[in-house]
Amino acid sequence: MKGAVRAVDPITTEVIHNFLTSCANDMNAALFRSAYTPIIYEGRDCAVALMDREANPLGQSTGVPLFLCNLEVCVRHALEHHGLDWFEPGDVVIMNDPYIQGTHLHDVTVFGPIFYEEQLVGFAASRAHWQDVGGKDIGSTMRSVDVYQEGFRLAPTKVVSRYQPDPQWMDFLRRNSRLGYELIGDLDAQIAACRTGEERVRQMLDRVGLEVFEAAKEKIFEQAAERHRAAVAALPDGVYRAEGELDNDGVGSDPVRVAVEVTIEGERFAVDLTGTAPPQLGPVNCGYAQAVSAIQLAYKSLIRPDMAVTGGTFDPLEVTIPDHCCFNAREPVACEWYFTGLGLLITLIISAVGEALGEDAVCPDYGDSMVITIAGERPDRSFWVSSEPTAGGWGAHGRDDGESALISLANGAFKNIPVEVYESKYPVQIDEFAIRTDSGGPGRLRGGCGVRRTYRLLEDASLSLWLERSRTPAWGLAGGSAGAGPDCQTDGPAGHWQGLKVNRLELPAQTVITLQTGGGGGFGDPLQRDPERVCEDVRRGLVSARAARERYGVALDPHTLEVEPGETERLRGIG
Amino acid sequence: MPQAGPVQPRYRVAVDIGGTFTDIVVQDASSGEVSTGKVLSTREDPARAVLTAIERFAGGPEQVEFLVHGTTVGLNAVLERRGARTGLLMTAGFEDAYLIGGNDRLDIFDIRYRKPRPLLEAEQIFAVEERIGNDGEVQRELDLAALAPVVEQIRGQGLESLAVCLLYGYMAPDHELALERHLREELGIPVLLSHRVSPEWREYARASTTVTSAYIAPVIERYLSTLIEQLDQGGGRSLHVMQSNGGVMSAEVAREEPIQTLLSGPVGGAIGAQEISRVLDRPNVVCVDMGGTSFDVSLTIGGEASVSTETEIDGLPLQMSAVDITGIGAGGGSVAWLDGAALRVGPRSAGSEPGPVCYGRGGSEPTVTDANLALGRVNTSSFAGGGMELDLAAAEEALAGLGGELGLSAVETAQGILDIVNAAMADAIRTQTVERGIDPREFALVAYGGAGPMHAAALAEQLEIDEVIVPAHPGTFSAWGMLQTDVRHDLRVTHFRALEEIDVGEAAAAFAALEAQGRELLLSEDVDPQRMHATCMADLRYVGQEYSLRVPVPSPELDPAAVKVDFDRLYHERYGHSSAASPAEVVKLWVTVRGDLPRPAGSVAPAVRDAPHGDRSVRFGGEWQAATVADRAAIAAGSSLAGPAVIEESTSTTVVPPGWSARVVEGGHLAMNRSGGTK
Repeated sequence: MKGAVRAVDPITTEVIHNFLTSCANDMNAALFRSAYTPIIYEGRDCAVALMDREANPLGQSTGVPLFLCNLEVCVRHALEHHGLDWFEPGDVVIMNDPYIQGTHLHDVTVFGPIFYEEQLVGFAASRAHWQDVGGKDIGSTMRSVDVYQEGFRLAPTKVVSRYQPDPQWMDFLRRNSRLGYELIGDLDAQIAACRTGEERVRQMLDRVGLEVFEAAKEKIFEQAAERHRAAVAALPDGVYRAEGELDNDGVGSDPVRVAVEVTIEGERFAVDLTGTAPPQLGPVNCGYAQAVSAIQLAYKSLIRPDMAVTGGTFDPLEVTIPDHCCFNAREPVACEWYFTGLGLLITLIISAVGEALGEDAVCPDYGDSMVITIAGERPDRSFWVSSEPTAGGWGAHGRDDGESALISLANGAFKNIPVEVYESKYPVQIDEFAIRTDSGGPGRLRGGCGVRRTYRLLEDASLSLWLERSRTPAWGLAGGSAGAGPDCQTDGPAGHWQGLKVNRLELPAQTVITLQTGGGGGFGDPLQRDPERVCEDVRRGLVSARAARERYGVALDPHTLEVEPGETERLRGIG
Repeated sequence: MPQAGPVQPRYRVAVDIGGTFTDIVVQDASSGEVSTGKVLSTREDPARAVLTAIERFAGGPEQVEFLVHGTTVGLNAVLERRGARTGLLMTAGFEDAYLIGGNDRLDIFDIRYRKPRPLLEAEQIFAVEERIGNDGEVQRELDLAALAPVVEQIRGQGLESLAVCLLYGYMAPDHELALERHLREELGIPVLLSHRVSPEWREYARASTTVTSAYIAPVIERYLSTLIEQLDQGGGRSLHVMQSNGGVMSAEVAREEPIQTLLSGPVGGAIGAQEISRVLDRPNVVCVDMGGTSFDVSLTIGGEASVSTETEIDGLPLQMSAVDITGIGAGGGSVAWLDGAALRVGPRSAGSEPGPVCYGRGGSEPTVTDANLALGRVNTSSFAGGGMELDLAAAEEALAGLGGELGLSAVETAQGILDIVNAAMADAIRTQTVERGIDPREFALVAYGGAGPMHAAALAEQLEIDEVIVPAHPGTFSAWGMLQTDVRHDLRVTHFRALEEIDVGEAAAAFAALEAQGRELLLSEDVDPQRMHATCMADLRYVGQEYSLRVPVPSPELDPAAVKVDFDRLYHERYGHSSAASPAEVVKLWVTVRGDLPRPAGSVAPAVRDAPHGDRSVRFGGEWQAATVADRAAIAAGSSLAGPAVIEESTSTTVVPPGWSARVVEGGHLAMNRSGGTK
C-alpha cells in the first residue's frame, strides 16, 4: 500500500508469525536430516531457535521440552561478554559450559549471527546432545564429583570465522572425544541447521524488508505479552508452596531438598526456590539458566500452552534462585545428571499452583528418566553398551486418569527399543515388558501405571542404574494418593540385590534384573471413583482386586469380576 | 445405453469414493478418450454410489472391461473406531506391548498427553504360553491345552476377528500357524497372523499392523462382497482396488490383504502426478491437492512417486509401503478468525456444512472460498459445476465485519486471508523439501482438487517455481491417477546380517522365494506372465543406526561391494553425507512384482468447444484488473492465454495471475509458466 501510515498490517504480521515457526521447523528438519548419531535424529535430544538481535525468542522447535528458551541464554551471554561487534557474517560459535547454559557438557550449543544488508538482525541457534565429550566414562559419567571428570568445557568459542572453519579448533574437538568422527558430523549438521535459518530469514527480509519485519516482531511480542498477562491475571491470587526430596546426589546418601514458592499476584507469576538444598558433591547440580528454562516450561504448561513461544511470553514471570543453591551451579561442581532435580522442580510448581486450578490441576508424573545401562565385553574384547530411559506413569488431572507407560518430560520423544531389536544387539534376553499393576496413585481419577522390564543376562555383564524419586514419588492432589516409586532387583547365581543407583555392578550370566518404574499421582478421593471404572481397571490389569478393595473400597466377585454393590457400599461406608 | 444380448465391454473405469462425492473417470479402451462425472457418496453403503456412477457414466457394469477404485471404507472404520471387535494374542510376558506402544509423547509439551486411542482394550488381549528365541529356536513349546480359558473368553466377549502376534513369528512361524488352525477350528472367525500380514521385526509395530488388519478385515469383506455381487449381476468383471503403495490389486487379493486398502483414496492423485511427470518429461514434481478442508502434498522425485516403507494412521504405526502424503489443515473451507488483534486462518474448517458464508447454508465466518469470491476469482454462478449460486454480498459483509476490527476493508481482508493461507501452504511444501535436501525451485507444481488450481500460481511464486501443471479434469484427478497404475505387490522379509558377511546364496534364495510368492499372486489376478516384472531391493543402514534406507539390488545374486557403493550414494543424496569407511548392515529384503496393465496410448485432449472468452474484474496485487475469463474447453491445444485470466471448468477454477501465461499441452493438461519480468 502506497505511503502506508501503518508500519505493518495485521496480515503481514500473521504471515511473519507463521513463518517464524515454520522456519524453526525447517532448521530442525535440516538438523535431523544430516545428524550422524541416532540420539539426535531418532532420540531427538536437540533443539533449534531463531532469535532477534537482543536474543529474544522468535521461533523454536525442540525435541526435549527442557530446552525451552535455553539457547537464548547462550547468545545473550555471548552478547554481554563480547558485544554485537564481535560477530561477523558467517561466524559460528559453539559452547557447552554448564554454568552458562545450565545443562551438562554433552549439550553443545551452536549459533551464528544473521546478517542482512551488512546489519546484524538476529541469530540462529541449535543444540544437540554429543555422545562423548571426553570425561572419565564413555557416554554418561556416573559418580562424578566435579566438572573436569565430565569432559571438556567451552565458553562461547568461534570455530568458524567468516565462513572459514578453524582447523585448530576442529582438531581439538576431534581429539577430545572417543567418537570424534561422529562429533564433527553432528557439528556440521548443527551448522547446517543455523545456515537454513539464516537463509530463510534473509528470504523473508527480501520480501518484506527489515523495517516491516521488525515492526511485525514488536507486534507479535506485544500480543504474546498481553495474552499471557491476561491468562496469569485470571488465576486466583495467592502464595503457593510445595517441597520434596531427591533420594540423594548420586554419590552420598543424604536426600536433597527442593522447595518452591509461587506467588500469583495480578499479572505477576513469581517463582522462588529459596529453601532448596545447597550445591551437592554428586552430579545433580544444575546451572541457573537451565533451572530458569525448567521453570519457564512449568509456567508455559499452565499459561496459554496453545500459543507459540516468542518474546513477551514470559513477561509475567519472575524467578528467584539463591546464590548458594543446587540450581545455581558454579565452577567446579558436577552437573552430568542436571535434569534429575528439574523433574521434581517442574512438578512441584505445577502441583503447587494446582491448588488454585481446581479441576485443571495436574498431578505429578513418575519424575525422572530412569536410566538402566547394561554393558559387557565381547569375545573379541570390544565393548557393548545398552543404555535406555524407561517409561512410567503420568499424573491424573481433574478430567481424566493419568496415562500409563509414557516416557518422562526429560526424554521428549524417545521410543522404547522393541524386544526383537534389543535381543539382536545385546547378549541379553528380555523376559517381560508389562504394565506394573497397582503402581498408579489411587484417586477419583487414577494416576497412570509404570512398567516392569525384566532382563536376563546371557553373558557376564555390569549394571549401572540411575533411578530416582523413591523418597518423593508422584504425589496425589485433592485427596488423591501417591503413585509407587521405582524399584530394581537382581536375582541369580550371585544372589539377590536391590537398589536404585549403582555404578558398574558386576553380575554373572543368567542373572535376572527386574526394573520397575513408578506411577503418576491420583486426583481426588479414591473412594469416590466410580466402582465400574475400578472394575474396568481390574479387568485391564491396572489395579489388583485386592487394591480395589483396600484402596478404592470396591468389592469384586472373584469369578465374574463384577462389582458386588452391597459389599462395596459397606466398604465405602466405613471409609 | 445397455442393449439386450451380449455386450463387448469397452471401458476402463476408475472410481474414487470421497466423503461428499464419488468421482468417476471413464476411458474408452480403444480410443483412449476420457470422460468424468460425480455422484453423491452414500456413506452407509458406499457400493451404491459406485454402481450409480457406473450406470450413469459408463452405461452399466457390462460395459466395463477394467474397474479400479479407491475406497475409504477401511480408513473410516479406523478413524471412527467402527471396525470389528478384535482380539489380540501375544507371547506371554509381552501382552501389554500393544498398549505400551512406543511410549513416546507426540506432543512433548502437553502434560495431559494421552496416547493415540488403540483399536482394542486390555481385556481383548490374551497371553499365549510360548517363547521363541532370537535365533528362531523354540525355547518354550506352545501349549494349546492351556488355551481353553482364552477360547472361552473370546467366545464370551463375542469377538469378530483375531490378530496373532508372537515374538519372532516372522522368523519361526510354526506357533502362529498352529494357533491359526486351533482358533479357526474352535471359533470359526477370521484369524490374521503377524508373519503373513507383516513379516518384519519390531513386535509393537507388527502387532499394530496385524490388529489394524484384523480390525478392518470383516468391514472390507462385507463391502467388497456387496460390490462384487452387484457388479456380477450386471455382468461386470475385473474389479481392482487401489493400494496404499500406489499399485492396484484384484478384489480377491484385497480380501486377503485388507491393510493395503487403507490409504487407497488419496494415493491416486500422487500416481497421477507421477504419470504427468513421465508424459511431460518433468522428473521432479510437487503434487498438491487442495480441497475443502485439507491441503495434501506428495512428491515425485526422478520420475517416481515417493514411497515410504512404514506409515501411521491416527498415531498407530503400520508396517506397509505407502505413498508419502503429508497434509495440513488448509482448504477452501478454512475459517478466518481473530485472536486478540491477530488475524488467523484455519486450521478449523467450515467444511461443506455449513460451509463458506457464500454457500448461504448458515455459515457466518468468512473462509478462503469467500475470499476468492470477493476478489473475483470465482464466478458467482459457475462454482462447482454450476449447481450453486454463490452469495457475493453475504461473503463481502462477513469479510468487512471481520476486517473492520482491524481497520481493513472487505477486499483487503480477503487478500489478507489468501496471503496468510498461501504462505502457510508454501511453508508446508518447503519443510518437506528441506527434509529431503532438495530444492523446490527445480520442481514443477501439479495442482488439483477443487481449490488447488486457484492457489497454484501464488504458491509457485513463493517457492520460486516456474511451471504449474493443472491436469485435465482437476476435480477428479485422483480417479484419473488410478487408471495410470499397474498391479503391484511389495513382498519383504526381515533378513538381519552384516553386509560384508552376507551369504549371497542364502539372500538369493530369499529373493527367489519372495518373487515366486509375488508371481503366484499376480497369476491369481489373471496377469499374463509375459507382463510380469520383479525388482529386488534391500533395506540397509550403517551399523548402530535404527532406521534404514531402501537400495535397489540389480540382481538377486547381490554384489555386497556394489550394494555398499549404491547405499553410500543414496545415503548421501538423502542426508547430505555418507561414509564409505563405515560398515553397513542389511535389515530387510524386498521384492516388488508388477503386472503391466494394457492401456490405450495417451489419453486424447478433450474436443475444443467453440466459445468466446469473456472478461471480468479480478483483484491482483491490490488493484482491480480486467482479466480474461475462458472456458477451459475453449482453449485450443497449443494456443496460449496470457494472465490476468481465469479459466473455468465444471469442477475447478484456474487463476492465471499477471505475468503468467497458460497453454494446453500434451494429454490435455494445462501448463502455466511465469513469463518473468513483471515481478
